[in-house]
Amino acid sequence: MQKQSTGYLFILPALMVLGMLIAYPVAYTGLLSVTDNAGNFVGLENFRRVLAARATPIAFWNTLWWVLGSIIFQVLFGVMAAILLNQNFRGRAIVRSVTLVPWVVPGIVAATTWAWMLHTEFGIINYMLTAPGLIDKPIGWLTNGNTVMPVMIAINIWKMFPFVAIMVLAGLQSIPNDLYEAARIDGASFWEEVWYVMLPQVRSVIVAITLLLVIWALNHITIIYAITRGGPANKTLITPIQIFRTAFDGMQFGQAAALSVMFFGVAIVIVFIYIRTLASNPEEAR
Amino acid sequence: MAPLTINDVRKSYGALEVLHGVNIDITDGEFVVLVGPSGCGKSTLLRMLAGLEDISAGEVSIGGRVVNALQPKERDIAMVFQSYALYPHMTVKQNMGFSLKLARAPKQDVRDRVLDVAKTLNLEDYLQRYPRQLSGGQRQRVAMGRAMVRNPEVFLFDEPLSNLDAKLRVKMRSEIKQNHHRLKTTTVYVTHDQVEAMTMADKIVVMNAGRVEQVGSPLELYDRPANIFVAGFIGSPAMNLIAGRIVDGHFLGSDGTCMAVPAPAARLEGQEVKLGIRPEHLVIDPQGHPAEVLTVEPTGSETLVLMQLAGHEIVGVFRERITLAPGKPLSLSLMPDHIHLFDTQTGLRIPLSPEN
Ligand SMILES: Nc1ncnc2c1ncn2[C@@H]1O[C@H](COP(=O)(O)OP(=O)(O)OP(=O)(O)O)[C@@H](O)[C@H]1O
Ligand SMILES: [Mg+2]
Repeated sequence: MQKQSTGYLFILPALMVLGMLIAYPVAYTGLLSVTDNAGNFVGLENFRRVLAARATPIAFWNTLWWVLGSIIFQVLFGVMAAILLNQNFRGRAIVRSVTLVPWVVPGIVAATTWAWMLHTEFGIINYMLTAPGLIDKPIGWLTNGNTVMPVMIAINIWKMFPFVAIMVLAGLQSIPNDLYEAARIDGASFWEEVWYVMLPQVRSVIVAITLLLVIWALNHITIIYAITRGGPANKTLITPIQIFRTAFDGMQFGQAAALSVMFFGVAIVIVFIYIRTLASNPEEAR
Repeated sequence: MAPLTINDVRKSYGALEVLHGVNIDITDGEFVVLVGPSGCGKSTLLRMLAGLEDISAGEVSIGGRVVNALQPKERDIAMVFQSYALYPHMTVKQNMGFSLKLARAPKQDVRDRVLDVAKTLNLEDYLQRYPRQLSGGQRQRVAMGRAMVRNPEVFLFDEPLSNLDAKLRVKMRSEIKQNHHRLKTTTVYVTHDQVEAMTMADKIVVMNAGRVEQVGSPLELYDRPANIFVAGFIGSPAMNLIAGRIVDGHFLGSDGTCMAVPAPAARLEGQEVKLGIRPEHLVIDPQGHPAEVLTVEPTGSETLVLMQLAGHEIVGVFRERITLAPGKPLSLSLMPDHIHLFDTQTGLRIPLSPEN
């Protein structure tokens, strides 16, 4: 007992600094959410207003699509790329490095580049599609309400799948070679090897990465804000951007804080459910 | 069960040839042990039999069928790895049933077969466990079980016991032997432990530096080693070798010690030879050659004595309780029927009598 309390004494300074850095912003956001811009206490007024705003449910559904669409394909493409990069072929080292490029490029640079590539009149993508006659007239990727969200999701997938690929690849490389050989002797085809040897062995890696991706997608701002600012007609407005715009475009700090608090709550619940259902498998071999 | 023929098989990694033409004939149901020092190519050869490694040249046939171009699963073999290579995320039951599951065998058949094999290996109580929850010996048995479930034509073992402690190794050794007696499946077993080779094999293949040095039954290799390498490799402690030459029908050691050798050696007059004598074929004899005791290692059942004789350090094993002390003189003679002579130049055995 004595020993334990001494231990606490030693970590107290660090705990205090951490506490300030983590607890203070959270507490201050909480405080902001129940005050107006002048600092007067207004009760739940900010919550009432922000929930009544037309943009809020739109942003909620957009966020849901954004997160689901991004995660599913980031993981899918990431794992496929990892399996591919784990094979033996000439030039593998180069392909591995090139794969990493989207992950290394700063988000704002990637966003600007993609915005230009997707430009309706001058973008290379429309050019490549119209020149050989694949489509008759240019598509307004970023102005058409039906294409803009899928395009944003596609850019996010492009940006993040290399991260998944590299992490899963590291997991795959830690699988001892004789497991593959044992599987071959047992009569496994390539796809059976993938399914019965590779994936189970990197399952915990995939679970952990998916959690990270969910958190990142939930908190995402850069790409969407840099390209569309949530437009057109709120088609790409996701909650973090709504918060950002409420605070800095609308100068409604109280409402932004109220939205943050609710968003924080929802995010915590999602992460908690995820960890409970997927990440904890007591039988997982190790 | 099937015969297995290895015909002038070679293996090269790029320009480096590591197997230089290996020929081995294995009959149906035989237990063959490949033995040799580290790096001599045993694992490479075994992996070529399994289909995990390409065959650079030559032919391997199993059951009369050339398998060079066949995938491992088409060869009807099963392999037990040194590391066991159990699937860590599968239970013992799933590990053992995996090959049948891949072969799309009916679920009930898989269950019956796994249970069957588990019974013979005393693994019934562990079927629901994961490999990490098993001891080394149990894992080893699961690895064997996984191979046995498929009832293959040929079993391949690559040093399956080298991760076990000495006592367990002896136990598993006899279990593997018993299984072989029951199943009579053709088996190729790799080890670098010559005791394992001697105790388990119907036939031993001694390999060295990518070549087969000798093929024969354990006692053949022990009694009539084909060359100096086999003589030194088989038997523990190893055969003593003394350099010298034949003068006047006697063996003259390089330090001038003169020893009697069997009469046929007379035809080797003047030739440089090495005289080989196993530790247990030395006898203490007042009329013998003078030697000096260096160390004494009693093991209880016998006494190992390191001595200086004819300018060489040699080992003797004596079953009688003798009192010897380092530094003391000793008189030794060699059992004449058990003297081996090897040509110093070629390393080959020089036959001294028709049956020897
Ligand atoms: N992939 C490879 N590339 C080049 N050389 C190799 C390769 N694999 C094995 N070798 C060489 O082939 C030779 C035989 O190797 P092998 O693994 O068959 O030896 P071994 O007899 O099984 O030895 P040990 O008893 O230590 O397991 C060694 O000299 C090794 O360096
Ligand atoms: Mg080996």
